[in-house]
Formats: sequence, C-alpha cells, structure tokens
Amino acid sequence: MLDLNRLISYSLRIGVLTSALLSLVGLTAWAATGYANLSRASGSGVSGTIASAASGNPAGLIYLAVAVLVATPVFRVALSTFYFARDGDKRYVLITVAVLSMLIFALVSGVSG
Amino acid sequence: MFGLGGGILIIPFLTLVEGVPVPLAVGASIVSVVATSSSSAATYVRDRLTNIRLGMFLEIGAVAGAITGAFVSVFLPAAALFILFGMLLLYATTVMIRSRRLDFPSKVLPDRTATLLGLSGQYEEHTKNTVVKYEVTRTPVTLFVAYFAGIVSGLLGVGGGIIYVPTMNLVSKIPVKVASATSNFMIGVTAAASASVYLFRGDVDPILTAPLIIGVAGGAILGTRILKLTPPTRVKIAFGLLLATISILMILKGFNIPVVL
Repeated sequence: MLDLNRLISYSLRIGVLTSALLSLVGLTAWAATGYANLSRASGSGVSGTIASAASGNPAGLIYLAVAVLVATPVFRVALSTFYFARDGDKRYVLITVAVLSMLIFALVSGVSG
Repeated sequence: MFGLGGGILIIPFLTLVEGVPVPLAVGASIVSVVATSSSSAATYVRDRLTNIRLGMFLEIGAVAGAITGAFVSVFLPAAALFILFGMLLLYATTVMIRSRRLDFPSKVLPDRTATLLGLSGQYEEHTKNTVVKYEVTRTPVTLFVAYFAGIVSGLLGVGGGIIYVPTMNLVSKIPVKVASATSNFMIGVTAAASASVYLFRGDVDPILTAPLIIGVAGGAILGTRILKLTPPTRVKIAFGLLLATISILMILKGFNIPVVL
C-alpha cells in the first residue's frame, strides 16, 4: 500500500496530464475543422459531454478535459477519506467528509443554478 | 512557485492585454488555477513539503467560504471588492516584507486545536541541508481567515493563495515554504468548487481555456523546481514585490482608472 503523499501526488498528476492531453486533442480537432466557431455549451450534462467528446466534437473534448480537471482535487479529497478511514483516524475522516460534502453541494447547486 | 494558483496573473493578462470580456477571463482563469494547483501540489506533496493534515483542516473554512462567495457575488458591487482586496494585499505586503527574518520561527507553542489534530510537522530545507521541525499555533484564527479567503476566491475567480500564504506564515508561524506548498494544495479544492459554478453558468470558453490548461501543466513543473532551491528570504521578498504591484493595480481598477500593462 502506498502512503498518502504518494497516493495524492500520483492521482493529481494523472488528473492534470489526462486533462492536458484531452485539451490538446480538442484543440487539434478544432484546427482540423478549420477553426470553426464553437458554441459555449452550458450545463449539457456529464453524459452529453462524454458523448460529444467520443464523437470527436472539439468543444465536447475540451469540456471533458475541464470536467476531468475539476474532478481531480475532488477525487483527491475522497481518496484521503478512504485512507484516513483505513488508518482508523476518525477525526480526519470527519474533516475530509465535511470538505467532500461541501464540494458535492457546490457541484449539485451549480448544476441546478 | 509562491503557492498561488496564477489567477491573479491570468485575469489581468486576459482582460488588459488580450481584451477578453471579464466573465470569460475569470472562467478560464479559475479552470487554469485548478490545473496549476494540482500539478504543483503533486510535486510538493511527493517531496513532503505540504502539511496535508493542516491543508485538509483549513479546507473546511476555505470551501465554505468559496460557496458563500459564489452566492453573495450577485449582491456585492465588484468595484468595492477590488478596492478592499487591494488594501488587504497592501497590508499583507508590508507585514511580509518587514517580517522576513521570521523564516524559521522558534519557540512556537502549538495551540489546543493543533495538538488535537496532530498538525506539527517537518520538512527538508534544501538550501541549508537540514530538516526543519515546526509547530502550528493560533489555528482557529487561520481557519477563520481561510473562510474569508474562500469568499474572495468564489467572488473573484482566484485561488486565494495570496491570503493563505501570509496568514499561515504570520499568524500560525508556519515556515514560508510549507505555507506556500500547503496553500497550493488547498487552492485546487477551492478553485474546483468555484470552477464548477462558472462551468455550469457557461462562462468557460473552450478555445480560451484549452491552451491555458496545456501551458499551465508545463509551467508549474518549472516553478516547483525553483522554489525548492531558493532561500526562504528571497521567496518572501519576491512574494512581497508581487503583492505590492498587484494590490496597486487592483485599487486602480476599483476606482475605474484604466490600467495598461
């Protein structure tokens, strides 16, 4: 089992690199369309974004990159919760769960707002 | 490098130099702040410079603040905020520069919260080849300030590092490098909360954002190398100068004086 430092370090790195890669693919796809005007989609939903990214839509790819990026720190908090729970560190389970629930609240209220 | 997300540099650049409308600049900036924070935090966390426990604890205040900020942003005039924020920065600057000898605070007594949560730590100071042990004090005050920093972050689309770093260093007596690394760590979470709001509002432009993500992923890797090898006093002076410049720009902007870079 990896220690918390390495676990967090790897997950952050993988998240950012995945996002940068998706952005690069998205920009390349955009260049291939001859720099067409892209719509600024708002709240098209997670499944809609993935579907449009899978079909090679440049905006869809970049929005997927942004979603992966935003999810990275949230994932890091969730990961720490599991780590502290495994260690039986109740105080920090409580702290990370509090942070996580506020983040989820922000995401959910963002969707509806 | 300074524990900032970079939003404070990206917003003026996009609005003043590139002429991008403010909401889109803020939207693109907050997304790239998540990228900066996460990629540099990855390095600091691996090198054990970050105080993960302290970061997690302060995130409670910071995230609550970011959500508050997103909600009140509708009611507050932006000009008032810019001026207040600028003045706060100027204050932080003077204190930071005057206190530059406080790099390795000694005889710090941990407060009850810090003891209860096991917040004391140590890190390797590469410029002196020593391991520095430190205690954390006045934790509740710093948590309170983190809440306000979170509000500013939600309102202005910056990470809040410009407030976290001086507060952790001056109030809680945390060595400046640890404060920078821990601030970086926290910013990712606050910025992710704010970024999701901008994303759903439709204020994230794909063509503006994608190059920023790619650039930031590369740039932050360079900055982390520099921080590790720079003496703490220089970090403080560089940080102080950066703060002074930005605070003046922000106050000017608040008074509606056009700023040309």
